[in-house]
Amino acid sequence: MTIVTQQSVLPQHTSAPALPVVLEPDEVTAARVEQLCEVIMKKCLWQFHSRSWDRLRQNERILGMTTSLLKDEQVDVSDPLDRCYWVDARYLAESYRERFEWFHDMSAEQIDHLLSALTERLNVLTVTKSLNEELTDQHY
Amino acid sequence: MPYHEFECSKCIPERLRHAVRKTEGEDLTSALPLGYLNTVPGSISERGCAYCGAKHVIGTPMKDVIHLSHGPVGCTYDTWQTKRYISDDGNFQLKYTFASDVKEAHIIFGAEGLLKQNILDAFAAFPHIKRLTVYQTCGTALIGDDIEAVAQEVMDELPDVDIFVCNSPGFAGPSQSGGHHKINIAWINQKVGTVEPEITSDHVINYVGEYNIQGDQEVMLDFFDRMGIQVLSTFTGNGRYDDLRAMHRAHLNVLECARSAEYICNELRVRYGIPRLDIDGFGFEPLGSSLRKIGMFFGIEDSAEKIIEEETARWKPELEWYRERLRGTRVCLWPGGSKLWHWANVIQEEIGVDVVSVYTKFGHQGDMEKGIARCGNGALAIDDPNELEGLEALEMLRPHLILTGKRPGEVAKKVRVPYLNVHGYHNGPYKGFEGWVRLARDIYNAVHSPIHSLSALDISKDEIPTDRGFVTRRMLSDRDLDPQIANRADLRPYSGRFDIIPEIRARRAERVANGEFVSAP
Ligand code: SF4
Repeated sequence: MTIVTQQSVLPQHTSAPALPVVLEPDEVTAARVEQLCEVIMKKCLWQFHSRSWDRLRQNERILGMTTSLLKDEQVDVSDPLDRCYWVDARYLAESYRERFEWFHDMSAEQIDHLLSALTERLNVLTVTKSLNEELTDQHY
Repeated sequence: MPYHEFECSKCIPERLRHAVRKTEGEDLTSALPLGYLNTVPGSISERGCAYCGAKHVIGTPMKDVIHLSHGPVGCTYDTWQTKRYISDDGNFQLKYTFASDVKEAHIIFGAEGLLKQNILDAFAAFPHIKRLTVYQTCGTALIGDDIEAVAQEVMDELPDVDIFVCNSPGFAGPSQSGGHHKINIAWINQKVGTVEPEITSDHVINYVGEYNIQGDQEVMLDFFDRMGIQVLSTFTGNGRYDDLRAMHRAHLNVLECARSAEYICNELRVRYGIPRLDIDGFGFEPLGSSLRKIGMFFGIEDSAEKIIEEETARWKPELEWYRERLRGTRVCLWPGGSKLWHWANVIQEEIGVDVVSVYTKFGHQGDMEKGIARCGNGALAIDDPNELEGLEALEMLRPHLILTGKRPGEVAKKVRVPYLNVHGYHNGPYKGFEGWVRLARDIYNAVHSPIHSLSALDISKDEIPTDRGFVTRRMLSDRDLDPQIANRADLRPYSGRFDIIPEIRARRAERVANGEFVSAP
């Protein structure tokens, strides 16, 4: 099944295209999200900071930048904290391109769609459905 | 939830939720043990206390400091010389330990006077040392000794000394991890920002959560020298007290052991805006990526690439030699906290072994999240195991080797499972490219050493084989190996020296003599 969707359901940060966007079928997206997630889980550490708010920020900033890099967009790294997110994002974007041939054929909209599904999945695994009871500790 | 119930712990029902086995279809939302909770009464834990976590793990690796425990001599003794956090200037921190030697009378009448006299005596005995850390213990905390006031009195009397007070008595948390947290926060509150450092490079880092076990930190400093990166401080292995007071001036915190030292990185980020970059210093790919990321941050990636290229060319053929001979080796990865996730994936990918279990004595659920995410399905994850559970797990999993500390290691030896000490190391350092080969070599020797089959013989009654006086590698690890692999000319076993640290120190000394850049004084 191929889903044709309007820009309105895509994440906020994408610019509106003139035509409907052709996305991958759900099951393809889901399978790819798992593959992308596996790379993060096996190779990265940034997704496991100690508090929920911290994890959400890490996931959002690093995967947001990874999305931009995969779309060959410029990322502003003038702030040192952003530069540090960018370092992890670059590692991830390069790993993805190296491991997954299919990235090379994806449009910007498809990348947006896939990476926002990935962010959602990572938030579920590390925050919203995490069994880690320390995530909501008031102390840092 | 796929909990694993140990037979031996059926009488302690609270233990059920401390062990899980993630299987196909499970993920972190359905498979995670409890962690960092008070040990259940009746379960003989292998944990340390919060004083031990503060002093023994984090405080004592600082090298130019008198480390004094305010309490009975036993607390100090148990935190002395059991971990090889060496220093490059004579190992003062390993050779000496200090205690105020509190006795019953002091518990009744107070021990502040005793503490003050001890501090003065210690400075008098070692006049070249001007820095001191003092650690609270259970007894002196319970009687309410004000060690901050005593420290201030001494600093007023001796203006050239500086004293750090660590208020983390044994009962200040479920395990040593409570002490890690306390000393992190105490250090940033009391000391960071009180010294202004000399900046010698455009690229300045704090290297955090690294304890220089058998020279790990010195291996990494060698890379940082070659990249032109100034290491303002190391928290705390081979680190200097005053350098650690200047942590606020770094551009980046490079964090190795997040379990013991993420707190200070988090605070440095909040208070001083210094970013935190978590890295893996173990294994070719993770270490290479880590150096590359640090290089990217400073715009000096080429310098990292050069190191990766040189080191990989030199050491990869030796790593491969071991990997070919270690495939299918079942290991229990049972270290303290961070190695369970630093190693869980890369030890399988690069050394070829299968991790059948991970455990942690004092890790938090966050450490288990990282560890379970990184090892394969089916591995048994255990939080704060007791000795009987450890034995039952060995019986059930039948590993060829356990990677652990010396307490559980000695227990494993009794049931003839070889163990490698991954806290104080066997023949480390294990960091760096060469270090990773040294770990593979130690695993190989542990698994294939004929001593284990010999130790099964009871010489008072068993038949002792007299037809062979020795066995060779070809009769042991190469027996079932494909001859094409066994005879590959491009692979070779470890060819480095017994101790690699003198070479690294000599290289640094040469750089200093030639006026070249070095990362730290
Ligand atoms: S628990 Fe208390 S008494 Fe025991 S070693 Fe730790 S500080 Fe000392």
